[in-house]
Amino acid sequence: MINKDLSIDFLGVHFENPFCLSSSPVGNCYDMCKKAYDTGWGGVVFKTIGPEHFVVDEVSPRFDILDKESTPFVGFKNMEQIAEHTLEENLADLKRLKEDYPDKVLIASIMGTNEEDWVELARLVTEAGSDMIEMNLSCPQMTSHEMGSDVGTNAELCKKYCQAVKRGSDLPMMAKMTPNVTDMVPIAKACLEGGADGIATINTIKSVANLDLNRKIGLPVVNGKSAISGYSGKAVKPIALRFLQQLRSAEGLENLPISGIGGIETWEDAAEFILLGSSTLQVTTGVMQYGYRIVEDMKNGLMHYMEEQGVDHLEELVGLANPNIIPTENLDRDYKVYPEIDHEKCIGCGRCYISCYDGAHQAIIWDEKERKPYCDKDSCVGCHLCSLVCPVGAITKGEVVLKPGRTGNPADKII
Amino acid sequence: MNEKYLEEAEIAYTINTVMEEAQRCLLCHDAPCSKACPAKTDPAKFIRSVRFRNFKGAAETIRENNAMGSICALVCPTEKYCQLGCSRCGIDKPIDIAGIQRFVTDFEQQLDMKILKKGEPNGKHIAIVGSGPAGLQAAASLLQKGYAVTIYEQAEKPGGYLRYGIPAYRLPDVIVDYEIDRIVELGANILCGAKVGQETSLSELKENFDAVLIAVGASEGKMLEMFADNPYTETAVDFLARVRDNQGDISLPNSALVIGGGDVAMDAATTLKVLGVESVTDVAYETFSEFLASKQELAGAQAKGVTIIDGYLPSKVSDKQVTFKHRHNQNELTITADLIILAVGQKVNAEELALPIEHNEVTFEGYQTSDPQVFVAGDIAKGDKTVVWAVQKGKEAAAEIDAMLGGKAND
Repeated sequence: MINKDLSIDFLGVHFENPFCLSSSPVGNCYDMCKKAYDTGWGGVVFKTIGPEHFVVDEVSPRFDILDKESTPFVGFKNMEQIAEHTLEENLADLKRLKEDYPDKVLIASIMGTNEEDWVELARLVTEAGSDMIEMNLSCPQMTSHEMGSDVGTNAELCKKYCQAVKRGSDLPMMAKMTPNVTDMVPIAKACLEGGADGIATINTIKSVANLDLNRKIGLPVVNGKSAISGYSGKAVKPIALRFLQQLRSAEGLENLPISGIGGIETWEDAAEFILLGSSTLQVTTGVMQYGYRIVEDMKNGLMHYMEEQGVDHLEELVGLANPNIIPTENLDRDYKVYPEIDHEKCIGCGRCYISCYDGAHQAIIWDEKERKPYCDKDSCVGCHLCSLVCPVGAITKGEVVLKPGRTGNPADKII
Repeated sequence: MNEKYLEEAEIAYTINTVMEEAQRCLLCHDAPCSKACPAKTDPAKFIRSVRFRNFKGAAETIRENNAMGSICALVCPTEKYCQLGCSRCGIDKPIDIAGIQRFVTDFEQQLDMKILKKGEPNGKHIAIVGSGPAGLQAAASLLQKGYAVTIYEQAEKPGGYLRYGIPAYRLPDVIVDYEIDRIVELGANILCGAKVGQETSLSELKENFDAVLIAVGASEGKMLEMFADNPYTETAVDFLARVRDNQGDISLPNSALVIGGGDVAMDAATTLKVLGVESVTDVAYETFSEFLASKQELAGAQAKGVTIIDGYLPSKVSDKQVTFKHRHNQNELTITADLIILAVGQKVNAEELALPIEHNEVTFEGYQTSDPQVFVAGDIAKGDKTVVWAVQKGKEAAAEIDAMLGGKAND
């Protein structure tokens, strides 16, 4: 079995591998975190610890899922807030985890309602032996508007609370962002100005996932009502990656240290987050659906990827794809690529014909007798919807041609 | 009552597993499945409805086309029809169209959907002789057009071959009852124990009804001459009816020999094994390369432990001992069994109806006899002899009757 070094340093803390539980129901007590460490996770962000005066009072039930065809958990909606255990219990768990797992990374997630809370919580979790602090500025389903994403959308408050945490602790600290903003850059910059050492992103997206159509109530139903709450899982991955890219391409944030979060469940997801600038990775929804064991294939798969890429240190991969995502106006619009249809592979379902006709440019000609598609190059714009709907991969990128009046060598285009 | 005989052999899909199967469907532009059904069922349309979670719409697509939709889902040899040309074969294996259809018709049943609607009464009355799939489908088609329908069934219960021919583990009574109940709800009057030609004559029917549809089927098993006086021999049709009538509770032989290679032979042999007969051997005239039974039926019989020997035909019988000769070589085979079942075809038994029957079907094309008031459908009409074909013939005969009586054909 392959064995490569997956370790990485992030905010001055050494992680044996980049995979961490995110602050959520999956890291809610000593036993859960112990099992996660034993299964091979490099770090744990312990479920957000709040101040003693904030009483956590949860609803039942509290989750919902979006599915598509026979795929459940395409997306996951969660109404749970921060840790329900007492402050004393949480601090005791942190202490015991650090004692029992000195080589694993223990990150304390905290959330206060005012500066005093933040200072005090930072001090307490530091005393308990945490390696790092994550500020939860982003939970979208808090019952207090002084907490969570209502704070995380306010740059001023974010900066002030970051300063407070830094007053309470010398530990490296990351601020966890809410995606419920148009632009994350000003918030992230405010946090950095307030003393944050890095950014964790994204927290969940405000959502209503499904309705009960007979009762006309959102799901889950809590005594006849429901509420907007955070959405996570595979469905949010593209949104998370977009925020990563926007942060890392903002002026002055090119080397922003990021702990990436949002729908990671395979090594490929993990590699994408790393290539767009994440040094560590955080996972919840995948664990809730499949258990801690998913880390085994993420680690092994990532090792194989490093081997294929000829990379010995994970950090060499961090951010490699950032320069390759550019503003739309800067893309090369001089050429188009025609689809190439492999009639040997084609099974004659006609899906390319339907999608091209109904959703593109009527450029697939359907031979009804032979049940085979042909490309009409006069109509084809090279959008490649056909290749995306083909169930057998019979359509690939073919001839590259310059648009009329453009110059250049089609052979030089990287398609 | 024999529980094993009554227990359905196939496990139905759940809402999750049917979505998985529907997701496998490629949703073809010009779906071959929808061009392959003898009864013109449109699987591409109902599978797409399932795929987009419109189960009620899927039920409408199936039911509006086929009054026997639940039955066809269970007994149709789809491997020869809709599933044969499935584009998914280009990747792995065809979509389980029958299984999806069954899910949809079960769903329809659970919701007690009433998809077929009785037509505005047009004052005309049709007599149908026989309540097998062709007669029932014709009744459903005619009732929707506003005709009154009376069905004459010689047996104690309606359903014909569906009731007495197909084993219960393949087609349970509840499904047969369900389909028939809905046709009765549409207004069909079914008279059981009423054999036309005895108390009621064909000429009486012609007097009292605007048209008569004869759909009596090929209800009698063929006997081979050498077995005619053999006391241990029974036709498969009689045997299957006897088992079904007694809900599987019959006295069992220690060993049985089935002669024949079609679906009926497989049904008889499998039934014997299901009931608990130790040794069941089937000898078929056809070799496996030309086998008549569907792959599913053949596999079912083999899975139950039936010994199947192909390419032999019987040459002599003496009490419980039958000698066979191979069709292409000189080899002989002797098998001894307590019960000998002949599954070598069926024949029409309708002498009283004065139809021009040759080789167990009428001699003319189409459905109208030389007497313009009298029509035929089902196995006695020309063409294939499966349930799905019976349904189509029932529909077409009903359309011809409607056209003759002034309705618009095929509307």
